Amino acid sequence: MKLINQFTIWYLGISIIVFLIGGVLIFYKLESEIDFEQGRELERQLDRYARKMESMDNPSSLSKNRLEIRELPVDQALIPFQQGDTLAWHEPLEQVERQVKAGRSYLINGKHYYMSMYNIMIESDDITETVVQTMVAIFLLLLIFIAITSRLVSKKILQPFHSSLTKIREFTFKENQPLVFEPSRIEEFEKLHAFLNRMSERMLGDYKIVKEFSENLSHEIQTPIAITFGKLELLLNSPITDQQARWIAAAYQSTQKMRKIVNSLATLAKLENQEFEGNQQVDLSDLLKNSIAGYDELVAIKNISLHHQIEPGIKIEMHPYMAEMLIDNLLSNAIKHNEKPGYIKIEATPNELNFRNKGKKPKADVSEYLDRFKKGNPNSESIGLGLSIVQQICRIHGFILDYQFIEEEHRVSIQLQN
Amino acid sequence: MKILLIEDQLELSNNIREFLESEGIACEFCGNCFDAQDKLLVYHYDCIILDIMLPDGNGLDLIGFIKKNQKSSNILIISAKNSLQDKLDGLDLGADDYMTKPFHLAELHARLKVLYRRNQLGGTDKLIFNEIQVNPENLEVTVNQTLLELTKKEFDLLVFFLTNKNRVLGRQAIVEHLWGDYTDDLANFDFVYQHIKNLRKKICQAGGTDYIETVYGIGYKFNTTKE
Repeated sequence: MKLINQFTIWYLGISIIVFLIGGVLIFYKLESEIDFEQGRELERQLDRYARKMESMDNPSSLSKNRLEIRELPVDQALIPFQQGDTLAWHEPLEQVERQVKAGRSYLINGKHYYMSMYNIMIESDDITETVVQTMVAIFLLLLIFIAITSRLVSKKILQPFHSSLTKIREFTFKENQPLVFEPSRIEEFEKLHAFLNRMSERMLGDYKIVKEFSENLSHEIQTPIAITFGKLELLLNSPITDQQARWIAAAYQSTQKMRKIVNSLATLAKLENQEFEGNQQVDLSDLLKNSIAGYDELVAIKNISLHHQIEPGIKIEMHPYMAEMLIDNLLSNAIKHNEKPGYIKIEATPNELNFRNKGKKPKADVSEYLDRFKKGNPNSESIGLGLSIVQQICRIHGFILDYQFIEEEHRVSIQLQN
Repeated sequence: MKILLIEDQLELSNNIREFLESEGIACEFCGNCFDAQDKLLVYHYDCIILDIMLPDGNGLDLIGFIKKNQKSSNILIISAKNSLQDKLDGLDLGADDYMTKPFHLAELHARLKVLYRRNQLGGTDKLIFNEIQVNPENLEVTVNQTLLELTKKEFDLLVFFLTNKNRVLGRQAIVEHLWGDYTDDLANFDFVYQHIKNLRKKICQAGGTDYIETVYGIGYKFNTTKE
């Protein structure tokens, strides 16, 4: 729901409540005002009749349908003006109606008279009708005005918001530029802008630190590893006993593994930092076939039968290096975790990429293998980062990775269309 | 063969120097760009091993200087950064090869020899050891004048052994030499064994001595003292 609609609905809701309360208030005020005015009018009429009676011999003769004249004892105190209502016959309507009644007593020519009059009352139904009609009319007017103006005004007011949104969407680490917004007169936007600006600066700073760390890590660790490597190689070629040779070989292999881990971690860090930008059209079919050809020898030596069904001309938008890394990792995993007599089945369509290979049942839950350093066989030479790299590449490109173990088969499938 | 090693890590350069000197290669060493320029102005080197990250500058910037003063030198870059861009830049500027640290010393040696043969000797010299003759130009190998039918991998393997005679070559070093880095995670050495078995068989069938011996648990060695 758009913000402006939300605003409008709230505003209209509040308006309805205000109009209801207002309507009730207006109703009571109007009713009491009309009653009061009617009473006053009746009083004025009574006064007129009283003056008329002063010049008359028989005042009681004035008495008629709406006017009642009663003589009171002279010594009784004067009755002040009083107002009330009564039910009385209303001739024009020919029915009993609620009417306003007003009365007071006068001293006229030494006699004491009580005079009272009544008149038809304006019905509350009529007042209600008037009030409701007016209110509804005003409310409809308001509705139309809000509907029209809010659209126009919101465009203008929210314009800086939309331009900020565009800027945030276009923010990348690669450009290394913090978010800068046009100044806005609206306080909330200014606050948001200031906050986003600070946040983007901090993010860039953190990103730089992480980036430098992964770069430094791979550089700083490579050098000591290189030195260790060299020393071990020199040692291997010096006069040593068989036992010593085996110790050196073990140290050599561990160093080798360390190097692999550092390389893979550096690659993962690069992937996570999204350092590979610049997607291109990659011909997945060609890439797959080339990779398979590259592993031909290894597959043959390991006695694996490899079947593939690759649709020609599958094109995807990817960084070429990442595409290569993805295929390589999938393929080498399938070779590595094979069980004799093994097979690998590869299927590729424009929508899906499937790798299936025979293998041992994994000990742990297969979904855990996507985590770093999880591997089926703790003694294996692999370092357990292959699938993490695959997963990270899939995540970056919005592919959906699925890994299952069914019927003695490892099944990795990647949905290329999202 | 005389080389200049420009590398700021003392221990690393010690490794390289000791290895190369034991192969009879004269190896001079310096640890920064400034000293390197000094040496390059005065002496001639067949090959220059150049680290990219140096304390007083980027090794890539030295390439132009080397090309100006030592036209015939080969440049081999060694870098801790496994960066494709650095590699392309380096090769673009005129370097001949690029290796990522850490590398096997035997591999470094083999690559130096390839560069040396190709550029300094015009790629025409033959590698000859007793009855084995290797002609890198047309990839032909003869043993006692009998032509061997070798696959590309077997040929590469033999050259690798002949370049590093009497050295223990680890299986990993052989794997990386033959297949490059991308078999990194495939720690399966069966296929090294297969290739070496075939190579030995072919040499023996042609009446050659079986110089290649297995060093248990580690790798292989081309033993020249074998009769």
